[in-house]
Amino acid sequence: MKWQSQMSESLFYHFKIQYKVIHALILREIHTRYGRDNLGFLWLVGEPILFCSGVAIVWTAIRPAREHGLAMTAIVVTGYVPLTMWRHCLARAIKAYEANGSLLFHRQVTPFDIITARTFLEIIGTIMAGLFVALAAIMLGFMKTPQNYGLILLGLTYQCFFCFATALIGAALSEMSDFIEKIVSIFSYLSLPFSGAFIMVAWLPLRYQWILLLSPMANNIEMVRGGQFGISASVRYDLFYNTWMTVLLLIIGILLTTNIRKHLEITG
Amino acid sequence: MIKCDGIIKEFHTSSGVRRVLNGINCTVQRGEKWGILGHNGAGKSTLLRIIGGVDLPTAGRVERDMSVSWPLAFSGAFQGSLSGLDNLRFIARIYNRDYAEMRGFVDDFAELGNHLREPVKTYSSGMRARLAFALSIAIEFDCYLIDEVIMVGDARFTERCRQELFDKRSDRSLIIVSHSMDFIRETCDHSMVLRDGKMTICASVQEGVDMYNNF
Repeated sequence: MKWQSQMSESLFYHFKIQYKVIHALILREIHTRYGRDNLGFLWLVGEPILFCSGVAIVWTAIRPAREHGLAMTAIVVTGYVPLTMWRHCLARAIKAYEANGSLLFHRQVTPFDIITARTFLEIIGTIMAGLFVALAAIMLGFMKTPQNYGLILLGLTYQCFFCFATALIGAALSEMSDFIEKIVSIFSYLSLPFSGAFIMVAWLPLRYQWILLLSPMANNIEMVRGGQFGISASVRYDLFYNTWMTVLLLIIGILLTTNIRKHLEITG
Repeated sequence: MIKCDGIIKEFHTSSGVRRVLNGINCTVQRGEKWGILGHNGAGKSTLLRIIGGVDLPTAGRVERDMSVSWPLAFSGAFQGSLSGLDNLRFIARIYNRDYAEMRGFVDDFAELGNHLREPVKTYSSGMRARLAFALSIAIEFDCYLIDEVIMVGDARFTERCRQELFDKRSDRSLIIVSHSMDFIRETCDHSMVLRDGKMTICASVQEGVDMYNNF
């Protein structure tokens, strides 16, 4: 019994340390990225707001107001916010360990903490930006209020885990090979059609729909759109496939991350 | 106690794999002061970094059952774009120390004044050394890993380091990497010599110094 209580105490203690480290990393990240003098924290949200609202405005202006019977602005907002989240998380993860080498001088800071802190910030930033843009669009009358908040929340939760998993994988692979580092931005750009951000599964011919449904992000965005449009849109997503695919990616990411220290050559 | 057990470290270079450390075994007990001697490129700093947990060995393991500082050298441990104060704040957070208390000590010890508000990358190497020492002493490690090059400060700084580290904290362990025989003779009570990836533990400091001079 005594042994057990010691064990759980030390486990709890380690969780507490990791919590403190991640907290400190997040605060530090805000200061390094945006500086103390500028409106650091505001910019964290401001940047994705400008991105999302810019795209939403341009698409609303140049495209027909409705596509396949769905409002254009809502399509763009529901697609672009999760996409921005993923692309920002991935971009911030590439070479994150090399850029943060000086942090790894402190043994309690692990590669896992660095990615957790960065991903957390990106996710908070894009979600707050998404809320802002959606609220603005709703108040200006370009978008209706969501039909099913639960489904939106579910889709976004899956998307957060997907972003975290790909950030872990991207960060580890980019340290292992320079080639992968170069190719990641090309990959993230070429994968845009598979993100499902600008199309919906139902718009595709029936026999090609499975290809898009292979992408977890497309499933997530379908869920978000299902929550936004309700029964007026026909959405398709596979919760079973999406769950195990996301878990598989997470496990791969965690395995790669636990082994990455060997590959790192840390310079202060 | 710190115990290195069969440490092997290889680096991948353009001319193939280079084995810098080839099976290092050593034990450092609480309160012992070790000097590591060796020529340039012998792998002294690499060993220090492995003991500090910055680099992982290719094979072998390091056991630590006391708190060990990060390797104190010119580079590392600080984020250059952040100010000295922000670095202090971060380190206070992750080592669970009180910020105000630490700030007081660092102000007093490092005497950096308003420079603390400037980014660390603008510091001279002497200023970096003072900040690194002040922070690690404020954290109160059981064992300090010191790359001797960092002890280049002016006479006043050297004197303060001596006071804080060697007098007030004489119960702590030290592992010092150095080229200065006088310094090692003065501060250490054990020595080891690193050559061709192998470590020789010497019976006395003087023996290590002689061995180093005869290479």
